[in-house]
Amino acid sequence: MSAALILRNLSWALSTVLELVLLYFLVRRKVYRSHPAFFSYVLIALLQSAVVATAYRVFGQASAASYNIAWGSQVVVICARWLAITEISKKALGEFSGIWAMVSRMLFVLGMSVLVYALVSSRDQWTLAVLTADRAVEMCIASFIVAMFVFVKYYRVEMSQMDRMLAIGFCLYSCFFVINDSIYQAWIRTAGPLWNYLESVTYLATLLLWIGAVLRHSESRIAASAPSLTLEDYLELSGKLNSRLHVLNNRLDKLFHSGDSRS
Amino acid sequence: MSVTVILFIAPAIVLVALLAWAVRPPKKTLLSVDDVFDTLAEKRHYARLPQILQSLRHEDTDFLYTRGHDQLAGRIRRERKEIALRYLNYLEDEYHLLLEASRILARIAPEISPMDEFAHLRLNMRFVLLCRYLRCRLRLGLEPWSVFGILSDMEGDMTLQLEAATTRIGERAAIAAEFPLFLENRRRDSK
Repeated sequence: MSAALILRNLSWALSTVLELVLLYFLVRRKVYRSHPAFFSYVLIALLQSAVVATAYRVFGQASAASYNIAWGSQVVVICARWLAITEISKKALGEFSGIWAMVSRMLFVLGMSVLVYALVSSRDQWTLAVLTADRAVEMCIASFIVAMFVFVKYYRVEMSQMDRMLAIGFCLYSCFFVINDSIYQAWIRTAGPLWNYLESVTYLATLLLWIGAVLRHSESRIAASAPSLTLEDYLELSGKLNSRLHVLNNRLDKLFHSGDSRS
Repeated sequence: MSVTVILFIAPAIVLVALLAWAVRPPKKTLLSVDDVFDTLAEKRHYARLPQILQSLRHEDTDFLYTRGHDQLAGRIRRERKEIALRYLNYLEDEYHLLLEASRILARIAPEISPMDEFAHLRLNMRFVLLCRYLRCRLRLGLEPWSVFGILSDMEGDMTLQLEAATTRIGERAAIAAEFPLFLENRRRDSK
């Protein structure tokens, strides 16, 4: 067995162990209740490792059956990842109905545009079609998450540290996947095991990031940071805001009509 | 190879850079309601509006030209232009304050949308661009009134929408305050 293959198998084993650790903490800290889609994603990723390992053992690594099982299961994993990302986005912005109504549509349009762009601009052989589609989806996911963070920044929405780290993990993984994939297709097609190893390292780093985020997660901290406003505060704020707006409007009207009278 | 780099690797690197920028904490945050109150209560330079308007009028300096004080008239117009530019900065600050207030309203009263958010975002971008355009016009010595008019309309629209939102909050608050009283009266009537 070559050194690259040993490294790949080691990284696969390590990533499976880390997925188990992550699952353990998700259950222990009851994160599966608040993040069911993310929990399902980790579970599906773990199952995929088991299914692909079994397929390799039964049918052999180079067989068509293993190829179909590996890429078929990848479709399920990507769908689960999409659901997890949507869950995080909705958690961040979903409680603001007006903001979410606009942002969800914009994110959808952006995601679809990037997907189309990535598929159209790929000039690879048809044998790499699955890889190209996978890269397009990863690019779409990364753009979606970055756009979500831009909106979160624009509206200054409070996002829990765990959601933030989970989204960052997804985004970094997708970006590095696109880079890895492009490098592989452009330069090192012959070094397949090495490429697999690089991808596994990226996934390992993402898993470590997620484990750290789940470990630091505390439900009581979220409850404490939830915005609270009394009835008096509502009324006072409304009154002050209205009077301020009237002053500004009058000032601008004056300015405008003064300009009209001159011209 | 270069095509792959341009089409995929470069956008991926740009996405990582954008992510790093987007997750950075903002420099200035108005997180608490008290902060908003303080900011709304800050005094501005409203009282000087008539002087600022006067300073933009050419008639105000025409007499200097007619008397041959061209240099002095030119200097005064330059200085007044600077004043108008500063005033524009105040307008921009004020608009951003309103945006911040509307964001806070959206956050603290999540069931009430202060305005259609897409229009809100578009309005914000348009306002920023128009402010830059107006600044250029003032610097070039061009007529600024029409742009001031557009900005005024935009502010007016935002005022109306925010006013509607705050009125709705007030109505809800009033209903919430009256509801226990209504229940109490019903209880008494039934006795």
